[in-house]
Amino acid sequence: MPLIELHDLSKTYNTAAVPVQAVKNVSLQIEKQEFTAIVGPSGSGKTTLLNLIGGLDKPTGGSIFVEGKDIATLKANDLIDFRLHHIGFVFQAYNLIPVFTAKENVEFIMLLQGVSRAKREQRALELLESVGLGDKVNSFPPQLSGGQQQRVAVARALASRPSFVLADEPTANLDSHTAGALLDMMAQLNREYGMTFIFSTHDPRVIKRARRVVTLEDGAVKSDVRQNEGKRET
Amino acid sequence: MILSLAWKNIWRNKKRSLIIIVATALGLWGSLLSGAIWMGWGESMVDTAINRDLAHIQIHKPGYAQNKEIINYIPDGFRILEETKNLPGVKAVSGRTLVEGMAASPTSTFGVKIVGIVPAQAKTVTDIYKRLIEGEYFTGSGGRNPVVIGRKLADRLGLKLHSKIVLSFQDLDGSLNYAAGKIVGIYKTESGLFDQSNVFMRQADLFRLLNTKPLIHEIAIRAESARIMPQVYAAVKANYPQLAVHTWKELAPEVAYTSTAMEAFTYIFIGIILFALLFGITNTMLMAVIERFRELGVLIAVGMKKGRIFSMILLETILLSITGGVAGIVIGGLSIAYFAHTGIDLSLLASSLETFGVSTTLRPFLPLDMYIALPIMIVITASLSAILPAWKVVHIQPSEAIRMY
Repeated sequence: MPLIELHDLSKTYNTAAVPVQAVKNVSLQIEKQEFTAIVGPSGSGKTTLLNLIGGLDKPTGGSIFVEGKDIATLKANDLIDFRLHHIGFVFQAYNLIPVFTAKENVEFIMLLQGVSRAKREQRALELLESVGLGDKVNSFPPQLSGGQQQRVAVARALASRPSFVLADEPTANLDSHTAGALLDMMAQLNREYGMTFIFSTHDPRVIKRARRVVTLEDGAVKSDVRQNEGKRET
Repeated sequence: MILSLAWKNIWRNKKRSLIIIVATALGLWGSLLSGAIWMGWGESMVDTAINRDLAHIQIHKPGYAQNKEIINYIPDGFRILEETKNLPGVKAVSGRTLVEGMAASPTSTFGVKIVGIVPAQAKTVTDIYKRLIEGEYFTGSGGRNPVVIGRKLADRLGLKLHSKIVLSFQDLDGSLNYAAGKIVGIYKTESGLFDQSNVFMRQADLFRLLNTKPLIHEIAIRAESARIMPQVYAAVKANYPQLAVHTWKELAPEVAYTSTAMEAFTYIFIGIILFALLFGITNTMLMAVIERFRELGVLIAVGMKKGRIFSMILLETILLSITGGVAGIVIGGLSIAYFAHTGIDLSLLASSLETFGVSTTLRPFLPLDMYIALPIMIVITASLSAILPAWKVVHIQPSEAIRMY
């Protein structure tokens, strides 16, 4: 069974002027452990598609199956619960809680899951160590660089032991060196822990590193190409 | 952790939070202090009335209140007086012989109540002896028929200490009696009305003048404390069903009402202040929420249920309000304690205060239950203030909020 199955997925925004169809009849299957980039120019529907896969938005047509469950039919609170336990999010602007330390930011997701304090603390420290921030656990987001904040965001996304991680333009705010380091880290997580990553991006550095590139144009899938096959991410 | 997050969120914008905290603190401080002054006023009225003549409980013959004639004395009054003294919870009792009459000087006359007392007994129940501004309280021989009168009566009749005063009253037979007394003491209480209409004599002198056996019309009872007064009242009432037994609240309902009304006014005043603060707190929280729209959207996106978000905003609002509230209660409590210790001097208003029977030194007072009720009122206010901001938050669409900059 594929991890994610999209059947004829559509999303239309009813704006004041004319209806805008942001996603048009997209059908896709994403397997576990994939390292997939969803690419396309601005306005091609990347973020909308990611929001639909992440259950942040409701489709106006079609269905989204995640691990066999149609998330488009879930009620609001069930959907939030589903996101909490199955999906990790990494946002372009990091979106950490500024008054929490790096460790507390990672812990917070586990608190929402009802994990005990001791286990939360242990896992938060392990995750921060694995993203190379073992020495920054007590730093607050404003004290960290953009790259470091995005690493904390990745650790936070992994804290809930999700089925996959959705990353919306994760390198957009980072310089090339930091972006490269972040991609290395995510590739390592994909390789070592089998974590599935789905990116929306128009960053050639990310596209180059992906093993599958889904290109959108005007909300529809223009191409779906597998690359770097047989080559493990390094 | 949610509590910690809520607390830290308050201090993200220190200036804004401090403004509302200071406003809450000052609002509560002002309302508590003014409320305490009102309640101190009410308590002063109650205390002075109880200490002056009401005591806690009084016993009369039924119908005495309607017909205050000399013949309406308490049957077997001295036995009841002795028995009452030994009841549990009774601190002291005083038997009073009451005669309506006229007081005359060479220049004027005035209607008075002549109160026959046993001075040593009266001292244990009321504090007129402490209110003497001239002379003494039946301590010396004082000659024949020593009399203690109020300052206001002395002024009305143009009398001074050691002046002669002529009292006229009916005896048991209905015959009019005249007796000359000598003013041995002049008192002044908080009530001008009381001072001009109450003349004190020794009971023994009054019995001699009335040419009657010892009789009393009123037994004033002082309970060990105001708290146990209801139990003492119930016991007295049960022991003497044939007599009229009344608490001070029944004897002076206007004083009891004033005291209760002052407490009600204080609650209303605090309620108005909190109602005004409600809008300020709502505004502060709305600003705080709008500023964090994206972050709150992220929290919903990553799995924080709306109920939990609602609770977090509610908690933030309560913490913000209770911080100001506690500060206000502490400052208010300290101010009240300070003024209760030093007293507020209102002697400039002495003549007006006499009308109300209020002491010129006002000691603010706030009952303990108000210190308990106030935090509850603050939490209710905060909860109401949180509704609009929290409502906004639970309606956040995470996909839209995340894109906000």
